[in-house]
Amino acid sequence: MIEVEELRKEYGELVAVDGVSFTAEGGAVFGLLGPNGAGKTTTIGCVSGLQRPTAGRVRVMGHDVVLDGPAARAHLGVVPQDLALYEDLSATENLLYWASAYGLRGDRLKQRITASLEVTGLLDRAKEPVKQFSGGMKRRLNFACGIVHEPRVLLLDEPTVGVDPQSRVRLQELVKAQAATGTCVLYTTHYMEEAETLCDRLAIIDHGKLIAQGTLDELRAMLGERDLLRLSGRFPSETQIAAALGGREGVEIVQAEEESLIVAAPQASRELPALLAALTRVGAEIRETTMSRPSLETLFIKLTGKELRE
Amino acid sequence: MRYVWATAVKDLRRRLRDPLALALWLGIPFAILTLLSLAFGGGEATPQARLLVADEDQSLVSGLLAGALGQGQLAELIQVEEVTPEEGRKRIGEGDGSALLLIPPEFGDAVLTSQPTRLTLLTNPAQSILPGILEEVLSLLVDAVFYLQRLAAEPLSTFSGGPPDGAATFPDQVVSSTSVEINQLVDGVSEYLFPPLLSVSVEVEEPEGQKTLNLGTLFFNSMFFLAILFIAQGMSDDFWVEKRQGTLMRSLTTPHGVTSLLAGKMLAAFVLLLVMAILGVTAGAALYGFPAARILPAALWAAASGLALLTLFTLLQLFATSQKTGGLLSTLVLFPLMMVGGSLFPFEAMPGWLAAIGRRLPNGWALEQFKAILGGGATAVGLLPAAAVLLAALVVGSWLAGRRLRGGFLAR
Repeated sequence: MIEVEELRKEYGELVAVDGVSFTAEGGAVFGLLGPNGAGKTTTIGCVSGLQRPTAGRVRVMGHDVVLDGPAARAHLGVVPQDLALYEDLSATENLLYWASAYGLRGDRLKQRITASLEVTGLLDRAKEPVKQFSGGMKRRLNFACGIVHEPRVLLLDEPTVGVDPQSRVRLQELVKAQAATGTCVLYTTHYMEEAETLCDRLAIIDHGKLIAQGTLDELRAMLGERDLLRLSGRFPSETQIAAALGGREGVEIVQAEEESLIVAAPQASRELPALLAALTRVGAEIRETTMSRPSLETLFIKLTGKELRE
Repeated sequence: MRYVWATAVKDLRRRLRDPLALALWLGIPFAILTLLSLAFGGGEATPQARLLVADEDQSLVSGLLAGALGQGQLAELIQVEEVTPEEGRKRIGEGDGSALLLIPPEFGDAVLTSQPTRLTLLTNPAQSILPGILEEVLSLLVDAVFYLQRLAAEPLSTFSGGPPDGAATFPDQVVSSTSVEINQLVDGVSEYLFPPLLSVSVEVEEPEGQKTLNLGTLFFNSMFFLAILFIAQGMSDDFWVEKRQGTLMRSLTTPHGVTSLLAGKMLAAFVLLLVMAILGVTAGAALYGFPAARILPAALWAAASGLALLTLFTLLQLFATSQKTGGLLSTLVLFPLMMVGGSLFPFEAMPGWLAAIGRRLPNGWALEQFKAILGGGATAVGLLPAAAVLLAALVVGSWLAGRRLRGGFLAR
């Protein structure tokens, strides 16, 4: 279990994480979703004890990561965003070292190394130097090094970045399997689809602040099942647009700029002609229209006014 | 403790995966040592001058002179070879020989009749020491010939004009009477002649406690510490390597602190240094005859010194802004340590003031202790203060490195 309370991390003038609070339970995957630079990796850094919080508290399995660091870290398994492997050593030698670092020895050590190699599909390449592995194999070994000691809490920082689709699916299966054993998994990503398919609970983070959290259903409900209309062209002021669209039930302006407009509306496909007519009446020149169904991405746009991959 | 051991084993495995680096660290200094040994004859054999003698006189006196140059203990120093004047000049011109002695015609007559004469010694300009020795020896012999002439001029002058008219040889009576006269003369001065025997002995004064040192061992010590410096500098970027491959960050998320990680790495480095040091000192013992009992103490000292030097280089790397800058910085420090600290040129070959500075550098100081151990001039008790200094340097260096690792190093 991970408990994060009012976590704040500053680097000089820059506030990387600003008052983030969440709780991740065992046996589930908790997703931390946000664009690059949102503060996800800093949050993971504070949870893993790599970075000392400026303010707030982080507890892992009840142990404060600052005041009782070794005890907290003893329950952690970490799968960093970049590979963290000794490329000159074999897969077995890598696992041997990381398992030893968590106090495993004897038969249990051997058994866990074999099990980790088996679950990641690397048993037949166990003795080869890691530098001879493909990118996908290295990713799987990177994951194996994080779980070899059977941690109660597993931190994964964007483990699928730059990974081919096949290996990505394999890694996601491994993460789900790990959660199924009762492990608390904290998973950061900026892939919406990945978060939707993998995570039981989600927190959306942007500019260091947590802007929403809950299950996928709870988050979708925040949108009120509304579609998102993206219009490009030339538009009058937000006040004039609001006046033109005012009175229409459930219609909400998400973002209004001179050359683009994003509007959330229930059953937008049916309302589209009326909405376009109302906008034209106040002087809007519409060149292109795109409509999307409710998703985490539409929620993110609604909450932040921008696309996740910006 | 188990994590320290696991880290050490892992690091040793990594090092052994790159045997070429290990071979180069030890091999380059020993290759230089081999070349130096070849260039200076290993420091064991006495250098020998080759004197070319062109005797145009072929008289009794010129024969005595040429013969004297290559006899007795002088024969160990001078190798005499008879040549014609033309051949001698040609060979000296080609650098083949240390000097050419030209004995002119009528040299013997001139000596016996006290007439002026000239011996010419042409020296090889490419050599500096051996021709000088020949000049000195020749000067002594010329003096000896002068005194011989003063003492025995009268009886010898009998022979200067050649046999009496119509005779091919000197009459027996003349020869015997002259022999008796010379014998009486020699007998009279024998008290002074025997002995003023001329003997040449080469002695090199050695500092107390280093009786076995010679040119070869001096260079061996320097080259051995050059290898230690290379190993220390070569391993010093390991935290950058671990940072780049992400393993440093992962290590710091384990329950163990930076101290355990550092201890594991230092243990691995010490084991590696000790193995290399034992190999190096054993090779030195085989080449230069150090007693076997001094191999282990000397290797232990060298390994501990190497560890302290590694800590110094590691600190430089940790405070650098990048691995590249760290490499540059450690190389910038390596070179003065190498050149002045006795790890390339022996202190004995340096000007006194420079050697004094070098002996105060970390590697220079450690090298002096190493030489004392290997030369038999150090006792375990005498080494205790030096060992305490080394230990203190290791503790302070490790503490600073730990602080840096916990602080800004990962953030860079």
